[in-house]
Amino acid sequence: MTAWEGLAHGFNVALQPDVLAYCLLGVTLGTFIGVLPGIGAMAAISLLLPITFYISPEAALVMLAGVYYGAQYGGAVASILLRLPGTPQSAVTTLDGYPMAQQGRAGVALFVSMVSSFAGSMLGIVVLVVLAGWLSEAATAFRSAEYAAMMVLGLVAASTIGSDRPAKAFAMVTLGLILGCVGTDVNSGAQRFTFGIPELMDGINLVALAMGLFGVAEVIGNIRNAERHAAPERVTFRQMMPSRDDLKRMPAATLRGTALGSFFGALPGTGSTLSSFLSYAVERRVARHPERFGKGAVEGVAGPEAANNAAAITAFVPTLTLGIPGDPIMALMLGALVIHGIQPGPEMLTARPDMFWGLVVSFGIGNLLLLILNLPLIGIWVSMLRIPFRYLYPAILIFVCLGVYSVRGSAFDIATVAVVGLCGYLLALARFSPALLLLGFVLGPLIETHLRRAMLISRGDPMVFLERPIACAFVIASVLLIGLSIFQNLRRR
Amino acid sequence: MKRDLIGVSNSASGGLAFTRRAALAAAAAFALAAPAFAQDWPTGPVHVYVGFPAGSSPDLLARIITEPLSQKLGQPVVVENKPGAGGVIGVQQMLAAGPDGHAFGTTINGPLTTAGRLMPDLGYDVAKDIQPVALIATSPLVLAVAGDAEATDLAGFIELAKAEPGALSYGSVGQGSGAHLTAELFNEAAGIEMLHVPFTAYAEVTTSIIGREIDAGFMAPSAALPHVASGKLKMLGVTSAEPFAQIPDVPVIAGNAGMPADFQAELWNAFIAPAGTDPNVVARLNTEINAILADPEVQKKLLDMGWQAAGGTPEDLAKRITDDTRMWGAVIDKVGTAK
Repeated sequence: MTAWEGLAHGFNVALQPDVLAYCLLGVTLGTFIGVLPGIGAMAAISLLLPITFYISPEAALVMLAGVYYGAQYGGAVASILLRLPGTPQSAVTTLDGYPMAQQGRAGVALFVSMVSSFAGSMLGIVVLVVLAGWLSEAATAFRSAEYAAMMVLGLVAASTIGSDRPAKAFAMVTLGLILGCVGTDVNSGAQRFTFGIPELMDGINLVALAMGLFGVAEVIGNIRNAERHAAPERVTFRQMMPSRDDLKRMPAATLRGTALGSFFGALPGTGSTLSSFLSYAVERRVARHPERFGKGAVEGVAGPEAANNAAAITAFVPTLTLGIPGDPIMALMLGALVIHGIQPGPEMLTARPDMFWGLVVSFGIGNLLLLILNLPLIGIWVSMLRIPFRYLYPAILIFVCLGVYSVRGSAFDIATVAVVGLCGYLLALARFSPALLLLGFVLGPLIETHLRRAMLISRGDPMVFLERPIACAFVIASVLLIGLSIFQNLRRR
Repeated sequence: MKRDLIGVSNSASGGLAFTRRAALAAAAAFALAAPAFAQDWPTGPVHVYVGFPAGSSPDLLARIITEPLSQKLGQPVVVENKPGAGGVIGVQQMLAAGPDGHAFGTTINGPLTTAGRLMPDLGYDVAKDIQPVALIATSPLVLAVAGDAEATDLAGFIELAKAEPGALSYGSVGQGSGAHLTAELFNEAAGIEMLHVPFTAYAEVTTSIIGREIDAGFMAPSAALPHVASGKLKMLGVTSAEPFAQIPDVPVIAGNAGMPADFQAELWNAFIAPAGTDPNVVARLNTEINAILADPEVQKKLLDMGWQAAGGTPEDLAKRITDDTRMWGAVIDKVGTAK
């Protein structure tokens, strides 16, 4: 089946009234829970999972996928207006989105994030259609050595996010790496820093850490000045119109973000959080005036939002073609398929074309619906966040607890959120970047696992990282980046 | 422990002088209590703790059982997902809920057999704290290699491994996992040496085998099947005693290619209760679960997911736990997995 036939087939599936209705339901629900800080796509999809027993597998997947990418749109709203990320993926959007809102440009920031999200998703779909077959082949060509080298490059590149104070940035990344060590060592089975607590055997819960660092810490920080902290302005469609300067800066950033997102989304095990961080780092690197970042740079919103939406789409490639979920949410989607007796794998494209192409077309329809939902109706979403703080903040804390509990039904994780939230507040007071801690936490275990696996398989020969061309290229790029950073810092003195 | 009710009625009559009448009265009271009890239980929703996340294979298996069970008991049967620590947290949470006849669990073999050897502090003693109810299903593992691998059958694979000891590598889903221990058992029985490369999920293992980064792996048949259809993997043998219905063409390893005739390794999934749960409740549950497992439709659903319906008495399950703990314990001793 060629891509064109596939798409035609997909329209037949996706335009069936029930599939269309579930798509609308999914994206609306996704936006809703995305806008609410704390509660994420994970919670919504877990709650919807039992319903999928009773509907067709196509409709089920279309709905769950709609929640997933709908949340990526919604996540940006609270990030921009309240500096509370609606989802971990949109944490990086707070860095420039919130300053824009403080400058009275909230509408523009929302517009930029919506349009970049839409563009990122649409281009992600094109990448998915053109490269689905090829990407699933390429993914098996990526071995441990390539992954380890790529993650190192990612860590080095993204560490420049807060590079105004390299020592503080270094401290945060290192703290993240240390926290990432907690749990069972994959290679030896030994327990590291678990203190005999079984809940720590699988490591510190990522959602608890992210929500604590960004959500709870922000709420604590705002209690002190809740009165001064103005509720977000009403945002009208008119206020969303960007200036000519914004329009000039946006497209390149969106395209770069899409490219990064499409690539990292398609690689199993990396996910969309990483790609939004990387996109931000790249925008900072290529900008002529990097000092604008953190003070309301349009590129800092456009790039990461395009990246996480593109990644949300291409993340379906490894999930469906290899059966490797990129994040816990994708793992839930796999479960939904298995419930219906569908084993994801390389056969998916040929054995279940209705499923695959129907989903692809539904992505397009869903994103169009999201743009329609979000641009003219943005006022409704914003008004959800205009509830007085004395009601909104307790509600947010409840949603955070619900969201974290929903991941694995663990009260321990709620305690984790509380402790991390308090620490996050102290870090914020001392002006440390929690984003870097999160980055180290996500990448550290991946680097370690792949590095040790590559060394194990090569029987201890480190040349494996230099002999393989792709891995070697990543290593060289990392070394160059570190050299460049040192050089720039020395010259500044 | 198992005979709690009888124990209570005995001690109640223990203070009385033994008369025929007293004994009859006690027996009558007991006989009256039993049917009254069967009608009363369950008095509310029944909770089944599963140590794996919603949508995972152990979770889906639990739901295949809990749905008809709910109809038979006339009360909702709620699956409580408490994932973590290889299923151990699910068992701990069930024990924390207590033996009031409304908290049960389904678990894979790990938390009942090998976990005590692999974890520093399990927080429970399988022999003392767990009341076996029924074995739900078993699953063998298959030995899978890349579709374009040199070896075309088990004999060829073993020959290849013997030609250059330590050159071949295999993937597992973690230290002390069924996939790891089965492969070590295989190594010993075949007299070969393969390098162990731990992963965290079967999908990672299959990708690594297809990419020819590692050479082989023992895995659940459902993990290998999608790739077998496309020719990217082939299955050289299965670890069950008889050919497995989901993959009838794959030869059993036992007795093949010079392997011992008793070579067998199976994963399983069981229904358990906290020790101290009323024996009548355990008996009733065992009957209902065996009836559910006898339903051909349930058997087919299980088989589609790679599970062979099992069943049997609580004592059968207890024996299985003891036997497997001994068998895998010996393998763990040999490989010296870190605790």
